[in-house]
Amino acid sequence: MIENPCTVSHKTAVILVTSGSRGNKLLFRYPFQRLAECPSSLTGSYAVTSHPTLHTFLIEAVLPSLRFSDIILATILATKSDICGKKFELKIDNVRFVGHPTLLQHPPIIQVSKTDPSPKREMPTMILFNVVFALRANADPSVISCMHNLSRRIAIALQHEERRCQYLTREAKLMLAIQDEITTMTEMDGSPQSPFRQILPKCKLARDLKEAYDSLCTTGVVRLHINNWLEVSFCLPHKIHRIGGNYIPPEALERSLKAIRPYHALLLLESEKALLGQLPLDCSPAMVRLIKTCSAVKNLQQLAQDADLALLQIFQIAAHLVYWGKAIIIYPLCENNVYMLSPHANICLYSSLAEQFSQQFPGHDLPSMLAKFSLPVSLAEFRNPLEAPAQEAQLIQMVVWMLQRRLLIQLHTYVCLLVPPSEDEPGLRDEDPPLAARVGGRSLSTPSALSFGSPTSSDDMTLTSPSMDNSSAELLPGGDSPLNKRMTETLLASLSEHERQVILNIPAAQNPEDLRMFARLLHYFRGHHHLEEIMYNENMRRSQLKTLFDKFRSVLVVTSHEDPIISIFQSPME
Amino acid sequence: EANRECIFFSEFHPTLGPKITYQVPEEYISRELFDTVQVYIITKPELQNKLITVTAMGKKLIGCPVCIEHKKYSRNALLFNLGLVCDAQTNTCALEPIVKKLSGYLTTLELESGFISNEESKQKLLPILSTLLEELNATGACTLPIDESNTIHLKLIQLRKDPPIVQEYDVPVFTQCKDHFIKSQWDLTTQQILPYIDGFRHIQKISAEADVELNLVRIAVQNLLYYGVVTLVSIFQYSNVYCTTPKVQSLIDDKSVQDECLNYVTKQGQKRASLRDVFQLYCGLSPGTTVRDLCSRYSQQLQRVDERRLIQFGLMKSLIRRLQKYPVKVIRDERSRLPRLYTGCHSYDEICCKTGISYQELDERLENDPNIVVCWK
Repeated sequence: MIENPCTVSHKTAVILVTSGSRGNKLLFRYPFQRLAECPSSLTGSYAVTSHPTLHTFLIEAVLPSLRFSDIILATILATKSDICGKKFELKIDNVRFVGHPTLLQHPPIIQVSKTDPSPKREMPTMILFNVVFALRANADPSVISCMHNLSRRIAIALQHEERRCQYLTREAKLMLAIQDEITTMTEMDGSPQSPFRQILPKCKLARDLKEAYDSLCTTGVVRLHINNWLEVSFCLPHKIHRIGGNYIPPEALERSLKAIRPYHALLLLESEKALLGQLPLDCSPAMVRLIKTCSAVKNLQQLAQDADLALLQIFQIAAHLVYWGKAIIIYPLCENNVYMLSPHANICLYSSLAEQFSQQFPGHDLPSMLAKFSLPVSLAEFRNPLEAPAQEAQLIQMVVWMLQRRLLIQLHTYVCLLVPPSEDEPGLRDEDPPLAARVGGRSLSTPSALSFGSPTSSDDMTLTSPSMDNSSAELLPGGDSPLNKRMTETLLASLSEHERQVILNIPAAQNPEDLRMFARLLHYFRGHHHLEEIMYNENMRRSQLKTLFDKFRSVLVVTSHEDPIISIFQSPME
Repeated sequence: EANRECIFFSEFHPTLGPKITYQVPEEYISRELFDTVQVYIITKPELQNKLITVTAMGKKLIGCPVCIEHKKYSRNALLFNLGLVCDAQTNTCALEPIVKKLSGYLTTLELESGFISNEESKQKLLPILSTLLEELNATGACTLPIDESNTIHLKLIQLRKDPPIVQEYDVPVFTQCKDHFIKSQWDLTTQQILPYIDGFRHIQKISAEADVELNLVRIAVQNLLYYGVVTLVSIFQYSNVYCTTPKVQSLIDDKSVQDECLNYVTKQGQKRASLRDVFQLYCGLSPGTTVRDLCSRYSQQLQRVDERRLIQFGLMKSLIRRLQKYPVKVIRDERSRLPRLYTGCHSYDEICCKTGISYQELDERLENDPNIVVCWK
């Protein structure tokens, strides 16, 4: 059974081990409570709460890694040097350990003072170290992969700092000294204490590791400054991209991000001010510009222009923000957008969302608002000429609020060419394979080239720009020139004879302009390109397209559903 | 499919220390690899009897170290480990019970007859290992008699995802033809409810008609879900509303889905329905349109199509999804009770199932209530 990654928080532990001239050592572990073998003997060592037996049971069930002693952990986690520099994974019963054991090249050379009368002592050398995370064995493989990534990043920082100023050696020395001290004290007066508890206030590295653990358990976002110098930042997408108890798998996220188009928009999930406040001091100015310029009504291409950045850069920063859970991809807001309640929306009367909504928009309640989106409705339909413009603005705000909380999905129109089967050939068992199967994939993926002045989804905008490479050939306007005729014929050539006949027999096909337009857009009629995409690529108005669809409705099947490319943000775990 | 690349028997030799005594195929585990991982194979006492899987040098080793203490052994203990080796990318969860079982068998054999500590009988291990590896890779199962009183029975069991909770208003439908079923394989409860699983009866109805307690039916169906024998759809009514999902395009893109669909939805005894008709029907489903509406608008397309099976197939393959109604009581005065069912968490399906009233009745009650809004999703 694969465990729900959202509950990974309570099962982790972080452990730091080293191997060197002093043998294998466990320097630090957190959480540091270790249970004695028999639950009943908790009165002495390491008892933590006032209800030892119940708590033991819970801890045993919840933190199985704690049952391993420091010594055995040091033995099994301080690996041999030949598996250093790679992912380390060890599973023992129901605990999985993952880390990235790292070799330290040069033993630090300690200069002993010339006036020091004591015999020269060899500084204990550290050969390798390993920052290990302990998880439930049945954790999702992508979670394990992420934890390994974090271990590796911390290792890189530590290795760097060790080379620069022997940071790790110093911290290790401190940790071991405290451990020795506590052991001695325990032997002397018999009162057991956890050495790790004492290490925490004295060692920055220990505090960093504790912080990593705590962050993973809560927000899923880790930000450390190793030796107050090197930054290590990391996020666990499984904790960040959570919608109603489910999560978006990182691979699905990546696939979506690769497929976004210039006509998409970036919707920030937090206020501009809040986001800017979270950025590190040395973050790129491009990121700041983007955050300041972006808006729910602006598509990425416009954003590129307004922020004066290359489109490619916009894509990269947008992907970054999405990955870190700070933004999602939507289709830019406009009055023709059609929205409907998301199947995953929480419409419960008592949800925290309902409460937040009432606070944000006094006098309105969320369920009533959501009920209005039970049937697909365009924003234009909410327009009331008698209402004050302020009302309309508030509506937009509410829609944005609902989109941010994944309560709404947007529906798009998709078209598919399907010609009525031939009547007078009853023997024909196999119908023509549909156009989709035949027309080779003309890649309409994210372009690296810019296209200027593309239309917004507003129908009122005059279209003046040239179309992109991806659009079909520019056909000369005007009439029935032989060149145009030939082009139309070529475009229709991918159809079967029967299909061509049926299409040419449609009354609208008698008009050469209409036929030409139909032929030119043929490759979109596979059910994979929605109306707005065709409008964008071909510089056409919505009304033009709708009229065309109507004229050729006898061979087209139209349906409406969400855009699968970005639906991942509304409907996780499809 | 995980391929078991190697099986090995490792022990602690009194003079040579940890070593691999037998491995099939020979020389598979290099000296280097063993040196790196031996601490996880012949282990300290704290790790004995635990299933240990270690990944190193592109390989995964799964074993369970055993320690038998007795004065008769040199060093007073016998330490050994019988394990399997796979490629590092393999998911080896299914192998764990097998390795555990094998360690149990060897322990028993040693305790009963000194099978391992006796040099002569130990040699029998090599052909045993060979057979084990071969049969596990070939059939996933192995039955091997060792001596008069001991036989090894092993079987690889696929681990599957936990099935969802089955509600009383869910409808189980077979994913494959019912006739492919061997009834006797299943428990009595399942056998009893099988005739009532027709893709239209919901759990509550099955329980009533088969005269089996509701929770038993739920558990039995959950079991069938686990093995992928059935899937769940919602109750069918002509007043239901559905809409298409992006997956509906797979009907056009994927020939196998197309074929399966057209065969499934064509009315009995009729010529196979056309793709166009069926696709038009699915696309005709949209919010605000009931199945009844669909039937009157697309009567021509429905000539060769069974609309109930159309809906069923669409749900099973996620080409369409059902839009459920959720009543929410938004206005209430201070004195009245908190709404229990009209909270937005319970669909009409659920409310009708639990209270026994019909959809129509519920509609009538709620439509005239100004304090209640209805959300569809």
